[in-house]
Amino acid sequence: MAAVVGSSRVRHLESALIYATLTVLVLLFLFPVLWVLGLSLKTRAEVFASPPLYLWWPTFQNYADVLTRSDFVRAFINTLIVSTSAVALSLGIGAPAAYAFASFPFKGRSILFFALLVMRMLPPIAVLVPMYLLFNKIGLATTRLSVVLAYTTFSLPLVVWLMRGYFEDLPVELEESAWIDGASRFGAFMYIILPLARPGLVAASILCLQLAWNDFLFSAVLTNNATQTLPVMMAAFNAGDSGMDWGGLTASGMLVTLPVILFSFVAQRHLVAGLSSGAVKG
Amino acid sequence: MKAWHLRRTSVERFFDRYFVHTTVLPTFLMMVCVFGLPLVFSFYLSFTGWGLDQPLFAGRFVGLTNYDDVLTNAVFTKAIYITLGYTAATVAAQMLLGLGIALLLNVDLPGMRVFRTALIVPMMITPIVGALCWKLLLDPSHGVLNQWIGEKIVWLGRPDTAIYAIWLVGVWQNTAYVTLILLAGLRSLPTEPLEAASIDGANRLQAFWLVTLPMLRPYILVALLLRTIFEFRAFDNIYAMTGGGPANTTMVLSMYTYLVTFVQFDFSIGAAAAWLMLLMSMVLCVFFILVIRRREAL
Repeated sequence: MAAVVGSSRVRHLESALIYATLTVLVLLFLFPVLWVLGLSLKTRAEVFASPPLYLWWPTFQNYADVLTRSDFVRAFINTLIVSTSAVALSLGIGAPAAYAFASFPFKGRSILFFALLVMRMLPPIAVLVPMYLLFNKIGLATTRLSVVLAYTTFSLPLVVWLMRGYFEDLPVELEESAWIDGASRFGAFMYIILPLARPGLVAASILCLQLAWNDFLFSAVLTNNATQTLPVMMAAFNAGDSGMDWGGLTASGMLVTLPVILFSFVAQRHLVAGLSSGAVKG
Repeated sequence: MKAWHLRRTSVERFFDRYFVHTTVLPTFLMMVCVFGLPLVFSFYLSFTGWGLDQPLFAGRFVGLTNYDDVLTNAVFTKAIYITLGYTAATVAAQMLLGLGIALLLNVDLPGMRVFRTALIVPMMITPIVGALCWKLLLDPSHGVLNQWIGEKIVWLGRPDTAIYAIWLVGVWQNTAYVTLILLAGLRSLPTEPLEAASIDGANRLQAFWLVTLPMLRPYILVALLLRTIFEFRAFDNIYAMTGGGPANTTMVLSMYTYLVTFVQFDFSIGAAAAWLMLLMSMVLCVFFILVIRRREAL
């Protein structure tokens, strides 16, 4: 439903007003990011210039410095490993479960499903406290596996909720005809159902990736210097003695956030479905 | 069409018979082991006095002492108010601003996609990076804000300004979340009721109040529910910008629980605080779900 707009002269004035308001809003919302992007392209002297510099010749020295720092590269690789594993695990475990929730009535289905919903609502810190203790006792703490497990459990409810919606929208005849043709349950799921639910898989993987890539809390508690992810490194960067290295801080910030932003924009249209995660049908 | 093997192996037959079990079990086990067991353990822990050097179940049973300690701790009780106040103020601003932006973006004009894409950038940014951006903007001596107004206000270090700065960043970061949900809602509404209203002579304000807003209600409730839950557990921004200070004015429940557990290493008190926080968010959730169910949106 697009809003109805009145007759011609009023309409022009109105469009102009809407554009003006939106432009102001965009400037307000983007300013912090653009300013920090600007800082990352300045030399040390330019960063601390007073009054602030609005026009300067951009330098990429900060980016070059950050990308040659071994701790940054290591954290980058850690983040990559951890988030892709979490996405793969969440989808690998969650998608078949979502299919069962969508297509097969079984005992306790609605209770299990409701339990998943509740788990998504719990505050992470409440789970993290005992999770740390248990992981510590079984020797999982400080490993990458520990954060992968944590992210997977936090993504699973999301994956199941989201994918169930997609599976439910597929016509039952599809899998039934595959079964009649001799397909096993798994065969029909893998070769008939899953390819058709690809938009759902894309949406779910983006949301899982965002969750894992952006997380700070779990990684801060469950990893050490060798296994930490980018957000944790960023926070340490901030607190440490290099507090005045704004160039390095801003350049690494931009590098941390760039992949996840690109990823989200490419798949923007899938995102809304994921945000409300099946709570609203349609 | 794919050609299937008609003769089944015994493995395939097994999986056919137990399909639901084999597909649901991994999710179920994962949730129980990584999520459920720790929660049960922390429930047990919250009734014991336990130190990190002891075996897991060696804690001495102390009854409700931990809960009593937490609930009589002035920092914790203040944290409840700060969390609720922060959540209410942030969610209210996000909802109003988000609705306004969604209505603007819903007007059918060229170039709207560009505006929408630009407006959701803050939400896409890694939260800890977004918070650090703001920390630099608000820096007392080199921050651009102070350079503009020509003063040296320590925004994040003053008890009377820090919480507003945190609020501002929260609104900046997640207003787009509300916008996207409500925009999807607006797009999915039928046009007939609005046309009928305009034929009946309703002006646009009336049409908005009496037709659009009621039809949008399920989406508004979902956005409200999700934002409330997420703001209630707010942590990253506060950790990065103030760490709960100055003078505990930005000490929300997540921050308090984190500090007690992972800085003071008092796991029993931490478990009690975590469980109290959990109960509070459960109450919030159940309340919202009941409201949504009543509106038949779920």
